[in-house]
Amino acid sequence: MSGNGDLNMRILAGHASGDFAGLSDLYAEAGLNAEANGEIDRACFFFTQAYVFALDAGSTAAAADLRAKLVSYGREL
Amino acid sequence: MKRLNQSELSAVMAPVEKARGLPNAFYTDPELFELEKKTVFEKNWSCIGFGKDIPKPGDARPVTFAGIPLLTVRDRQGQVRVFQNVCRHRGMKLIEEPTTFKSVIRCPYHSWCYELDGALRSTPHVGGVGRNTHPDIDRDGLGLFEVRSKVWMDVIFVNISGDASEFDDYAGHLMERWSEFDGKQVFHGGPNSSLTFEVKCNWKLAVENFCESYHLPWVHPGLNSYSKLEDHYNIVETNAYSGQGTQVYNPQLDATGRRFADFAGLSSKWDAAAEYIALFPNVQLGVHRDHFFVIHLEPLDVGTTREYIEIYYASEDMCGDAMGDLRAAHAAAWNEVFAEDVFVIEGMQQGRHAPAFDGGKFSPVMDTATHCFHHWVAGRFETG
Ligand code: FES
Ligand SMILES: [Fe+2]
Repeated sequence: MSGNGDLNMRILAGHASGDFAGLSDLYAEAGLNAEANGEIDRACFFFTQAYVFALDAGSTAAAADLRAKLVSYGREL
Repeated sequence: MKRLNQSELSAVMAPVEKARGLPNAFYTDPELFELEKKTVFEKNWSCIGFGKDIPKPGDARPVTFAGIPLLTVRDRQGQVRVFQNVCRHRGMKLIEEPTTFKSVIRCPYHSWCYELDGALRSTPHVGGVGRNTHPDIDRDGLGLFEVRSKVWMDVIFVNISGDASEFDDYAGHLMERWSEFDGKQVFHGGPNSSLTFEVKCNWKLAVENFCESYHLPWVHPGLNSYSKLEDHYNIVETNAYSGQGTQVYNPQLDATGRRFADFAGLSSKWDAAAEYIALFPNVQLGVHRDHFFVIHLEPLDVGTTREYIEIYYASEDMCGDAMGDLRAAHAAAWNEVFAEDVFVIEGMQQGRHAPAFDGGKFSPVMDTATHCFHHWVAGRFETG
């Protein structure tokens, strides 16, 4: 749990700094954690955040992976 | 608003020998200015800026034109596109400052993302948290509102109403006249080749003063040494553009023997000719064998106008450091000319508060270009 608290802090710092590529990675990490716990709705929230920030940052490969993940859960076109 | 009086408009539309100028209200009445936004600026091809300000794919600038928030962006293919600067979701303004999009245009409110061609790419959480689709959200029908646009001579033109004739018809006469310049790659001189003025006059007075040469010996005595009044000719193309030309353009060498390179492949006409033309409504261009300039008139309110003046050269070499001092001197020379015009355009604005002024009496010989512009403006109100 302390790991998640740290991730939360890093996500807040990422929002504050405007480093969207880094923020995308952090949200993706949060998504994978939730997914591993079987919390799919929560995971898809994080993956969506990660996807949008990857799009914004121009991280094409990451955006494609995240989109594929969301599509597999029926959450994205 | 003073009711638009058809007989006053007819007086403007009459042949120049008999015509009156536009009535005072066209320069002083805020309600008429509002009407002008529709009939003059939105229904025609108006200038909103320059391609050089968004040089690379993803570069974007917000522009407000005639009160309408617009977004100009260079897409992945290098084409300039213009959109209304508003998100299809809740109507948030998309950008406030010039920026470079790395991939998508992301709305700052709920992060709907648009491609640079305006297509809606992503709608996060639109179907509930972590659910980015919904049967009632049809992305295909929710792209950004694109505005009809065209880039010519690096000028970004828009037709906001969407129903003007094609740009190539609208500006066809001028494109034909200047076909030797059209399609050439042009190079903006950089920061020292941009001039800006904010003037206390209606935008039309800036057009009117630009397109006539009658004032040159009085207002620009310094130009007279190489550009005498009798060397000038009027340019009048009814319902399209007007201006003036000179037959004695002769760029001088500087003290170290340098001058700007000429555009390639020009005919001998341009050895000594230069032309200054107002393409209605709000752009003015001057072409010379070794440079051209464009003036974008931004009407801020009925009595205030901002002028953006941009100078371009024929090759990249002209825009490097080695020519920097020459470009600076060149821009300073033009700046002096434009600065000399400020008191007359502002003085004419003040004159238009004199209630007895009836639009004025044109010189049938010297004022044909000015009358051509008035005729065009009056015609927009007759048909609009
Ligand atoms: S207003 Fe743009 S996403 Fe909501
Ligand atoms: Fe002048």
